[in-house]
Amino acid sequence: MMSKFSGVWATFEYLDDTCAAIKELKSENFDQITTHTPCPRHEIDHALGSPQSRVPFVTVIGSFIGFALALLITTKMALDWILPVSAKPILSVPIVVPIAFELTVLLSIYFTMGGMLLLILKDTFKHQVPKSSQYKEYDRFMRDRFGIVVECQEGDFQKIENIFKKHQAEEVNLEK
Amino acid sequence: MSQLTYGNINDKVVKSMEPPGRSWMVSMLMILGALSMGMFAWAVQIEHGLEWSGINHPIAWGVYITNFVFWIGIGHAGTLISAVLYLVRAPFRNSIYRASEAMTVFAVMTAGLFPLIHLGRAWYAYWLLPYPNQRELWINFKSPLLWDVFAISTYMSVSIAFFILGLIPDLATVRDESKGLKRLFYSIPALCFRGTNHQWLHYMRGYLIFAAIATPLVFSVHSIVSWDFAMSSLPGWHSTIFAPYFVAGAIFSGCGMVLTIMIPLRVAFPGFKEIIKLKDLEGMAKLIIFTSLIVTYAYAVEFFIAYYSGAQFERALFWFRPFGEMQGFFWVMVTCNCIVPIFLFSKKVRTSIPALFVISLLVNVGMWLERFVIVGTSLAHEFVPFAWGTYQFEWVEIWITIGSFGFFFMWFFIFVKIMPSIAIAEMKETLTPPFRRKNDE
Repeated sequence: MMSKFSGVWATFEYLDDTCAAIKELKSENFDQITTHTPCPRHEIDHALGSPQSRVPFVTVIGSFIGFALALLITTKMALDWILPVSAKPILSVPIVVPIAFELTVLLSIYFTMGGMLLLILKDTFKHQVPKSSQYKEYDRFMRDRFGIVVECQEGDFQKIENIFKKHQAEEVNLEK
Repeated sequence: MSQLTYGNINDKVVKSMEPPGRSWMVSMLMILGALSMGMFAWAVQIEHGLEWSGINHPIAWGVYITNFVFWIGIGHAGTLISAVLYLVRAPFRNSIYRASEAMTVFAVMTAGLFPLIHLGRAWYAYWLLPYPNQRELWINFKSPLLWDVFAISTYMSVSIAFFILGLIPDLATVRDESKGLKRLFYSIPALCFRGTNHQWLHYMRGYLIFAAIATPLVFSVHSIVSWDFAMSSLPGWHSTIFAPYFVAGAIFSGCGMVLTIMIPLRVAFPGFKEIIKLKDLEGMAKLIIFTSLIVTYAYAVEFFIAYYSGAQFERALFWFRPFGEMQGFFWVMVTCNCIVPIFLFSKKVRTSIPALFVISLLVNVGMWLERFVIVGTSLAHEFVPFAWGTYQFEWVEIWITIGSFGFFFMWFFIFVKIMPSIAIAEMKETLTPPFRRKNDE
């Protein structure tokens, strides 16, 4: 279950201000940071320390399952009902390869999609965001504003607010 | 001309999704008219049988298989643009990829209708699938037609997944730009996306993997479609160059269709002129030149091999194509696919919107005819002369073909009104982000 959020969030007009604020927050050991950007920006990733996604692992699992499934169905079905055609072998590599390729791709894609959604969900639970209507109804993150949310104790509010103001945040909100 | 910014990209795209005007309504009525006639023609065919189409001995694969290959080919450009051009970071991709991806999905949906129409008894289509029936009789895995079932189903699933995945951030943008019921409508498919670093991290990695996986799929699908022909021992079909030749042809026709739909889209929504730049269309024109040259080379090689190998049936067939009774189709095909694209070498032509539009239409015509020439002439002129024949087009198949264009454009017209037809987030990525200190980055 999601616990009550305690922290500070701010909005920025400029990307360089946002990155500078993130770097300063990281140097002050605030690690529970969530950012908002209208599009993916590598500058933010670098400021956050270039985190890596585990989606490729899920894709690999999907590809193995797809390949194994294709081997199973072609082998089982070809041997289950012997269907001689043009003197071709009942079971051979050319029979298996197209099906194996397609099912490998198909399952990889499904697993990638599922993996992405699960990992996003996991991170959403791990990194809390404010519950206030002011935050929920703020609708410029997907337009032209950058945002930083820091989960912290009430005692750190002043320190974080000062960092945000120093980097010229447009607005700073405290959430208890 | 105003400069593109993060904010005004949102405005331009959201504006294109406003309730439709009169021109949209009139176009939609014409499209639905074409679709209705196509459905009526199909109903007549179901009632009376395939004899109402032109399919007959010796051409048992006629207009329907031509349409199937044509629409699958059209579907190729979308995945090429969204996946292959993404991996190579082609700069002209971003403005056109969303509409191209939609085009892919709708083209593959249209293509999927034709095996059903061609079957005659469409309700037995499930026999193609490996389901455990009462006699435990399984499907023939040695047949490329069966590989095609897997290839097309996979391609369609991947195209739809790719399309939906790309839409998520943009639907979130439209949600945030909307009010009331519209906001609620877009908030469901937007899946709570708010552009957080965690969301972008997994999203971008997943998108990259999608692109990497979809790239070989672009090549595999039309290769397998080509093997529907090449695995037979028929002169004109049994050719080792069919797979690369079909892939190049598919990309060629797909790029033609991209221009056919992007140019009117740019005219219909004036705000898009700043987003879909002339150099983006020029990029597509260069792809058309490149693929046209490959296709032309493939045509030439086919003729050379038929002549120099001395294989008499091949020779006879390749004489029949340009000089037999179906020669008209061949020469129009050569004109549209090999000669017309040469004009694109001229920058003046390449940067003229009307010229690009006309050329794109001719490429579409040429590529439809290419498929018809491959299907029709090869079957018309097999090994023994007493079995030779020709093809008679019937009104049922002509209307079904026109109806298929209606089906395709119906979905596309709905799409441009309810979905962002420009990839908002990707367009923003191409802009210089707002920096306070201008010397940064």
